[in-house]
Amino acid sequence: MALVALFDPCYMNALRPDDAGHARRVLEALGDEVRLIDGRCCGQPAFNSGFTSDARTVGRGLLRAAQPHEVIVVASGSCTAMVRHHLPGLFPGTRGDAAAKIGSRFREFGDYVATHPSLAGLPLKLEGVVAYHDACHARRELGVSSYALDLLSRVEGLELRRLAHEEECCGFGGSFSVKLPEVSTAMMSAKLDDVRATGAQVLVSGDLSCLAHLEAGARGLGITLETWTLAELLSRALA
Amino acid sequence: MNAFRRRAAAEIRTEHPSTTLTPIMRKLVADSAAMLGHGPEDARLRAAAARAHTVDHLEELHREVRANFERRGIGYHVAATPAEAVGIVRRLLGEAKRVAKSKTMVGEEVGLTHALRAAGIDILETDIGEYIVDVEGRGPSHITAPAIHLNRARIRELLARRGASLDDDDPERLSRYVRDIVGEYFQDCDAAITGANLVIASSGRIGIVENEGNVSLGVSHPKLHISITGYEKVIADEAAALAVFEVLAPSATAQPLTSFTHFLADPAPGQQRHVVFVDNGRTRILADSRYRDVLKCIRCGACMNGCPVYRAAGGLSYGSPYMGPIGAVISPLLWRDGRYADLPFASSLCGACTEVCPVGIPLHRMLLDLRADAVQQGRATAVERAEWRAWALAFGGATRARASSALARIVLHGAGRFIRPAGTRDDPRLLPEPRSARDPAHLRPAGPSAVPVVIAERDAGTPPADLVDLFRLRAGDLGVSVVSEAPAGARGIVLEAAAAVASTGSVLLTGDSAARRPLLAAERVIVRVNPETIVHYPSYLLPYLGDGDALLLTGASRTADIEKQIVRGIHGAEDLIVVLAEA
Repeated sequence: MALVALFDPCYMNALRPDDAGHARRVLEALGDEVRLIDGRCCGQPAFNSGFTSDARTVGRGLLRAAQPHEVIVVASGSCTAMVRHHLPGLFPGTRGDAAAKIGSRFREFGDYVATHPSLAGLPLKLEGVVAYHDACHARRELGVSSYALDLLSRVEGLELRRLAHEEECCGFGGSFSVKLPEVSTAMMSAKLDDVRATGAQVLVSGDLSCLAHLEAGARGLGITLETWTLAELLSRALA
Repeated sequence: MNAFRRRAAAEIRTEHPSTTLTPIMRKLVADSAAMLGHGPEDARLRAAAARAHTVDHLEELHREVRANFERRGIGYHVAATPAEAVGIVRRLLGEAKRVAKSKTMVGEEVGLTHALRAAGIDILETDIGEYIVDVEGRGPSHITAPAIHLNRARIRELLARRGASLDDDDPERLSRYVRDIVGEYFQDCDAAITGANLVIASSGRIGIVENEGNVSLGVSHPKLHISITGYEKVIADEAAALAVFEVLAPSATAQPLTSFTHFLADPAPGQQRHVVFVDNGRTRILADSRYRDVLKCIRCGACMNGCPVYRAAGGLSYGSPYMGPIGAVISPLLWRDGRYADLPFASSLCGACTEVCPVGIPLHRMLLDLRADAVQQGRATAVERAEWRAWALAFGGATRARASSALARIVLHGAGRFIRPAGTRDDPRLLPEPRSARDPAHLRPAGPSAVPVVIAERDAGTPPADLVDLFRLRAGDLGVSVVSEAPAGARGIVLEAAAAVASTGSVLLTGDSAARRPLLAAERVIVRVNPETIVHYPSYLLPYLGDGDALLLTGASRTADIEKQIVRGIHGAEDLIVVLAEA
């Protein structure tokens, strides 16, 4: 029984408001007591666009909200990487150190769940076939991909299909997809080809940003594809 | 700020670069990783350390280079700007009218070919890929594979423009056609211009890697050899140079080493040799702690091979001599006038570049800093600035952020939830219960998986521990015959190797054996190797390198400039035979 904060990132709150509920269900099933941090943003959208001072303003709000908590779970690799690796660098000197200290308490959802002491007792069962999309920030900045894969392999009845070229970016990249839509779409099409080759109609990932991008693309191309976050899949596997 | 987008959109629409590039680059990245696996485990760390030492001691190393060049009679020149570089080369060329040029990215950077042609000098691009893109007239699209954006049919068309009548578009035929033109040009030319991969401070030797043999011709045939390179290309000593070579070819082209690895020493009697170091903003980069590590770059191109944006947009979209992630970092740093200010945005920040960089340059982090610089320099539009300010305002406070999220939901979904009550936000029970409306049918697959099963590499097993066996295996991979007795009555040149390398199948030639002219003229090359002198990795060659001219041969002369298909025997023999025999 641990007390954890669940940070519901801004874009997830906007795009998929149910998702934090799924994450909460899983954490509570593990015996944790969950507090919510919402209405905040890590600052990544502005940071990736070069607007560091706007990113700092917004990120500061999240760090303040996170300060009282020992562990902050985030169902997004991208936001976790921002808070852990980039946000502290936006503050000078000792304030940067303080930000790094708070930042280091942020844990990516899959990472947190897969290493949870109560995980072994969690009954996970879901009949079906899903494919897995490895998000770049989870893979390269955090190195947590293996946790998501481990969790998916624990779900009884679930067949996990891996993508060819799993390491390749889906083409989202935040403001990249807005600034360079032609390039972004070309990358997305390549990824959707790989998704389609798996035969699975549900794509799972730790990062909703990639999923939302791919789902929109699939809709445009007339491909049947549902996208579930890792939290949603685990929550449904609990039922 | 949207030149890249314009060019990329046009390329994607008309040329669809990904069709050609993606399969080639996927294979190349996998093969590069496998090839690095043949080397020592710490190769990347040692190469990174060797280059970091350069960045930390740049001026000191240049003083050492200068002194050693004086001893050897090699000219030392520094150009602050591209115009100065061109001026120095023109002065050095003197009366020379026919010049054979091999690949140099710094030459592209300073616009050398164009400037010299404008001055009435006849220049031939002697690298097959460079020759082809010179005919096309749009410049190289990759730093180590300049014509990678062109398929064989297109190359045949281009060559036909120059009067070639070719029966088909077989890469071997196309490559040999260009080879013959280059070979003939070298019979009568006044000077050669080459690049340099590194210049060794402790000995004053120049390191150049190449596959075709056009550099070998350039450094041995004309009376004048001018090498043009970046000011940061100096390196401490031979150990550091070998550390770089251990990762350079595997990362660039998935080769153990290139066919020819030159250590050029004193110019031959009657020959002149000069090196022009181009600064063009490099010392200014050195002064900025955020970017100085980019000077560690060894120009292998691994970052572009691995980059999904490069694959989708193609190298020409960058509009710079340097493309891909490294191009997106150094172009705006070298040219401060803003012409490349949009390139740092040409990345999804996936980090594949940083992951493959063999010298550990944090490329995607530098891209983030460069984006911040671009905004600070006022290169963002007023509209974008206003948007981010509004965004910061919206997300600066929790209530406003919730309102914004709700608004976004309304905009995105046509109908959204209303704002949740504020004040008790840390009560998770306020979170909506998950929807149940997912179509369970979707959990059934549309069909069986068609993902190809990855077949393990042919030699994925443990390589032989015995160095002689390993040498046989790796040399064999390169098409080299390894025998214990010279074939009876075989014609060709017989050379004594100073040493050989097991992990790469290479032979080291020093002194007279390293003479390029007879080597290239021979129809077959037989190299005698004493098995006692076979070392495991290239870095163990240190005691055998001597202080003079040295040449490390790794397989026969070859090219892969057309669709990455290997054609052996370009300038120099196709047959390389190694005779293992006690001295």
